[in-house]
Amino acid sequence: MKPTHTFQAESITAGYDKKTILHDISIAIPSNKISIIIGANGCGKSTLLKTMARLIKPTSGQISLDGKPIHKIPPKHLARVLGLLPQSPIVPEGITVADLVGRGRFPHHTFMKGWSKKDYEAVAEAMDIMNITEFADRNIDELSGGQRQRVWIAMALAQQTDILFLDEPTTYLDITYQVEILDMLTDLNRKYGTTIVMVLHDINLSARYADHIFALNKGKLVAEGTPSEVITSSLIKDIFNLNCKVIEDPVSDSPSVVPIGRHHNKSISISENPVIV
Amino acid sequence: MINDTILSIMDSRQKRQRRFIIVTSVLALISLALCCSMLMLGNTIYPVADVFRVLMGEEVKGASFAVGTIRLPRMLAGVFAGFAFGAGGYIFQTMLRNPLANPNVIGITAGSSAAAVFCIIVLQAGTTVISIASVIGGLATVLVIYGLSKGSSFSIGRLILIGIGIQAMLTAVINYLLLIGQENDLPAAMRWLSGSLNGAKMETLLPLVVIVLIFTPILLFFGKRLEMLELGEQAATSLGVDTNKTRLILIVSSVLMIALATATTGPIAFVAFLSGPIAKRLVGVGYSNILPAGLVGISLVLASDLIGQFAFVARYPVGVITGILGAPYLIYLLIRINRKGDL
Repeated sequence: MKPTHTFQAESITAGYDKKTILHDISIAIPSNKISIIIGANGCGKSTLLKTMARLIKPTSGQISLDGKPIHKIPPKHLARVLGLLPQSPIVPEGITVADLVGRGRFPHHTFMKGWSKKDYEAVAEAMDIMNITEFADRNIDELSGGQRQRVWIAMALAQQTDILFLDEPTTYLDITYQVEILDMLTDLNRKYGTTIVMVLHDINLSARYADHIFALNKGKLVAEGTPSEVITSSLIKDIFNLNCKVIEDPVSDSPSVVPIGRHHNKSISISENPVIV
Repeated sequence: MINDTILSIMDSRQKRQRRFIIVTSVLALISLALCCSMLMLGNTIYPVADVFRVLMGEEVKGASFAVGTIRLPRMLAGVFAGFAFGAGGYIFQTMLRNPLANPNVIGITAGSSAAAVFCIIVLQAGTTVISIASVIGGLATVLVIYGLSKGSSFSIGRLILIGIGIQAMLTAVINYLLLIGQENDLPAAMRWLSGSLNGAKMETLLPLVVIVLIFTPILLFFGKRLEMLELGEQAATSLGVDTNKTRLILIVSSVLMIALATATTGPIAFVAFLSGPIAKRLVGVGYSNILPAGLVGISLVLASDLIGQFAFVARYPVGVITGILGAPYLIYLLIRINRKGDL
């Protein structure tokens, strides 16, 4: 089981160039749990994830791991505890699956030291978890989108960090692969206790797979807690400007959002959320 | 099951490691053989034994002058410039993720050349001044291109396009200088522009040799980080690479090596452009190919120089031969990129 860490962002403000995107956000990541950041396009979900993973320097505020500011931790040391899978990493031309996954071992290597048994084990295990062992010697260019995403996640797993950030790991994937990947990440969390923090687009999948949800609106944290505490029709109205009805997910006990549009509504009026035409 | 996977990963990794070692050794042997040929061949052909004795410092009648004073500096100029062009070019191409992004195409070489031609024609300067000016010219061009392409966010495509634009401007400057230049300065300028090992002397080689010997270990050390940079800025950072520092060190080292090589031999066309892709083809991806690319650079320069010296009735400078070899590859690459539709 992975050790417990305290990972906190204290009143961080961040953005690109002169544009401020995050305003004074303070959050603490629940250790050994799955947290999902939700919010509308452009609300700063990705920026928050990237700032916490030290890809963006906050203009003010501090991010700390176990009480230590992350910019004071040597990059390679930090990379052994905290990993991030970016939204669109670049595939080097002609690289094989095993090679790419192997690059996740970089933070564990010291100069001149070759690959140890531990490295091979980590790569094999990561490929096994993501079920890509059969592709080991294949060229990444030959794989489908879903398979490719599994390879990238395997690379992040080979890094063997206690905390794993994923920036929209299921975007552009068919629903089958979205569920598959979220299931695999849940396996990872249950089996090893890996702390997972991700940005997801799909609100219902977020509600089902998250232990903890952070809801962002216009660069501010507006709600956090378990899915059933956070996902309410008024919150959805606030952050997505969408009328909806929140029902119980018929499959799991998580909340599920049913959107209300201008068309195709049953004639029975929906009491809590009158449809405004 | 897991054990089988471990074994198979180990197996393919070792296979590639073997391939890397074999290819690198073969390239080193080819380079060595070419070095020997450079020393042995000429108006008089000296046997290996004589060459060896000269290198050991013995006085051999006739051979001492031809081998020690003429052929040895020529060979060393080829070796160090070839390595600098090959390794530096590979680093640029890998870091900028574009086979077109190399010192020749993005104008560093043109900057060095323009400065050198200015010194030859306008200032009538000596070799030392020419060398220093061309290094400064090359570095200044890099700074200008980098500064202009920075904008609000760094873009590789913009860097390449601005580089091509700057190169066109500098070429115009060079042409203008050649037009206004005195007739007896022109051969020197032209020889410099085409890249040549003629007239290499031990004294003028020293700065290049020192820079290559200092920066090669640094580049090899950062080779692993260069592999991580290939995955993109964000992935590299999350793998624990300090991307800004790494990029700065890689750029400064390779630009210095290339600028000094250009100052010593002139721009030997296309070596920086061809070496990386050839090394990659031979070794395969997934490895830092800096060393093989440098060795390919040496082999290309020395082989082309031998061809230029002995294959034809007239003697051609090495840059003409590498130009003939490289131009078709550039055209091939442009056609391929055009089909794929991205820069």
